[in-house]
Amino acid sequence: MDDEIVLSIDKVDKIYERRNLAPVHAVKNLSMQVKKGEIVALLGSSGCGKTSTLRMIAGFESLSNGSLILNGRRIDTLPPSARNVAMAFEGYSLYPPLTVRDNISFALKSLRLPVNKMAEKVSKVAEMIEIGSILDRYPSSISGGQQQRASLARALVRSADLYLLDEPMGQLEPQLRAVLRGRIKRLLNENRMTAIFVTHDQTEANALADRIAVMEDGMLQQFASQHELKEHPANLFVATFIGEPPMNVFDAMVQRHGTQIVFHIKNGPNITVASTEATKLVGAREFVTIGIRPHNVIVSSGSLKAKIISNQWLGDQSHLALSVAGKLLVAVSHHRVVAQVGNEIAYDLPNNCLHVFDNTNGAALIHGVEKS
Amino acid sequence: MSLSLRHISKSFGRATIFSDISLDVAEGETVVLFGPSGTGKTVLMRIIAGVEDADNGIIMIDNRDVTNSSPDNRGVGMAFQNFALFPHMSAYENVASALTAREGSATIIQERVNSIVKLLKIDHVMGHSPRELSNGQKQRTALARALVGAPRVLLLDDPLRNVDAKLRYEMRLELPNLLRRFGSAVLYVTQDYKEAMALGHRIAVLQGSRIIQAASPIDIYERPESLIVAKLFGDPTINVLPVMPRLHGDEVIIEIDGVSISIGQYYRDAVGIEASLALRPEHLVVCSTPGANSFPVEIVAETPLNEKTVLLTRTRSGTEVLVSMPAINEGTIPLGLGFVSFDPKSVLLFDRSTERRLRYFDR
Repeated sequence: MDDEIVLSIDKVDKIYERRNLAPVHAVKNLSMQVKKGEIVALLGSSGCGKTSTLRMIAGFESLSNGSLILNGRRIDTLPPSARNVAMAFEGYSLYPPLTVRDNISFALKSLRLPVNKMAEKVSKVAEMIEIGSILDRYPSSISGGQQQRASLARALVRSADLYLLDEPMGQLEPQLRAVLRGRIKRLLNENRMTAIFVTHDQTEANALADRIAVMEDGMLQQFASQHELKEHPANLFVATFIGEPPMNVFDAMVQRHGTQIVFHIKNGPNITVASTEATKLVGAREFVTIGIRPHNVIVSSGSLKAKIISNQWLGDQSHLALSVAGKLLVAVSHHRVVAQVGNEIAYDLPNNCLHVFDNTNGAALIHGVEKS
Repeated sequence: MSLSLRHISKSFGRATIFSDISLDVAEGETVVLFGPSGTGKTVLMRIIAGVEDADNGIIMIDNRDVTNSSPDNRGVGMAFQNFALFPHMSAYENVASALTAREGSATIIQERVNSIVKLLKIDHVMGHSPRELSNGQKQRTALARALVGAPRVLLLDDPLRNVDAKLRYEMRLELPNLLRRFGSAVLYVTQDYKEAMALGHRIAVLQGSRIIQAASPIDIYERPESLIVAKLFGDPTINVLPVMPRLHGDEVIIEIDGVSISIGQYYRDAVGIEASLALRPEHLVVCSTPGANSFPVEIVAETPLNEKTVLLTRTRSGTEVLVSMPAINEGTIPLGLGFVSFDPKSVLLFDRSTERRLRYFDR
């Protein structure tokens, strides 16, 4: 992937004015750039501003502030049809009087392809997306999930500067979803198509996207690869939002002993770190928030002990909840942990997997410290 | 047995919802009723609660035939996915409403309500009305109302469906302990296989109007009786390859794209049968050179899935085979030609026409 910028979102705000009510500031000072061939996910919970952002790029909403540049053209002043953007939106529905096949073909009309060439393109995308058998049906006679796929096929068959997909697989059965994700990713990659999709499902974001824009409260929290979001979350919000099950967090008091620094978790373990780097990054703070991901907690060995609150085997993973510092410490193991609820188990919180955050603003301070 | 269903059938007009359902739930046991949407799970709950009649069959609670008893005479508590709280009552009144219908002094009622809402960590919102509660609090309030009467039988109809992922996960960890305190026989409905495995002592899989398997989570996952059950449990879904096992000496041999692989002596019954070889993605390993139990593939794509890495591979004849492993750094495994190997002990074989699991001999 080269660094050619396809879409530039520059200082964009979206404010919804409401009669007799305070305006809603849905998107706040959003700036981000999407590269050629990149697949980007806008991820967040409902009301975070992700859908407003997508709708502004599509042209369904006006911008309150800022600008959008697509391949060097300013597009935020253009109507949706003039933006050369392909879309699959829930509200942007199929034409009811046309069959699924004609709906998809319609998107190719402007190319003036020979009939057989067009038919070939349509059936290829339809097969990929598993709607080959319903091409001659009308939208009203197919299920919601099939409509969603037909609309996805209609968007993907086109050639466009940018593909915008709103919860593209939200209504599909989980098993089909897993298969389609792989195929769609492959199609987008092979043709170097640039795409932005909205989702609230991080599994979907992880599976499809090259980079993920995590939004909360109208603000972009972090825009990075999923690896980066996992290993180096910018703040406590991203750290606890990304990752399933969520990161374990504990408040800790900081004590210093010479070159050592001790994070004292109230009614919990002390974590000793001997690292000048860590000492420097923690600075003069008296309190911090400590985080560790469930997959990084070591169980069945280690110097710490805790009572097992639950132990669930899901076929390929053991999920354990341990009682630590009056809270639950969740640990996930890829091996089956055979241990009785109510008993004690040894565990460890490896230093190189610890995340440390400022306890007031949640900003990340440290991601993993060397073994003390 | 706290709850016994015997030969329950139900139809709406010409549509058979289920036929001949029999199921037992012991005191303190949680049985998960698992199945895709539209399999009548909720209808069965309503029949047990007494708000819907079965066409045939008997419902016993504590060895008492309650088939014709009124709902409030059955000792059944319920909580639903849409919470169903009374909007005009406070959260406290909602919880207490399960008790006021019975005998009991005001102080006893108050004590019982207080102890359960404390346990569920919703004591601080008891003065609120339902619309002032978050979905998580609503769900706990509904659960408190179901539990406060210490019912002999507790019906939980997908109670975590409408709460956010984080809380759903927490509740999945905590619910078994909570249920253990009450000792009720619990029938729990969900469509999420992980929830089913985490919460159920046993899982009853509903499909096509029948219970097609009722067993412990481990048995369901490792010894599914049919390919349907095998496919309903596991993420990513189990891989299926067509094979025709043959005997070579003492060993059972399968062939994948012309490569013969011995699966040992475990599946003698499968010899000569058109079969489906089912391989769990987490039991497969990709390698760059062929091994004893491997077949050639093209490694097409790598996708991360939660804390796993999933590789999409394709056999020479075009079947997609997924391989999963604990998360690794992207790009560690090069795409292109490779081999997928498996432990012959981990394979499942099904008869392709009946989709029933073929017999396995472990000697």
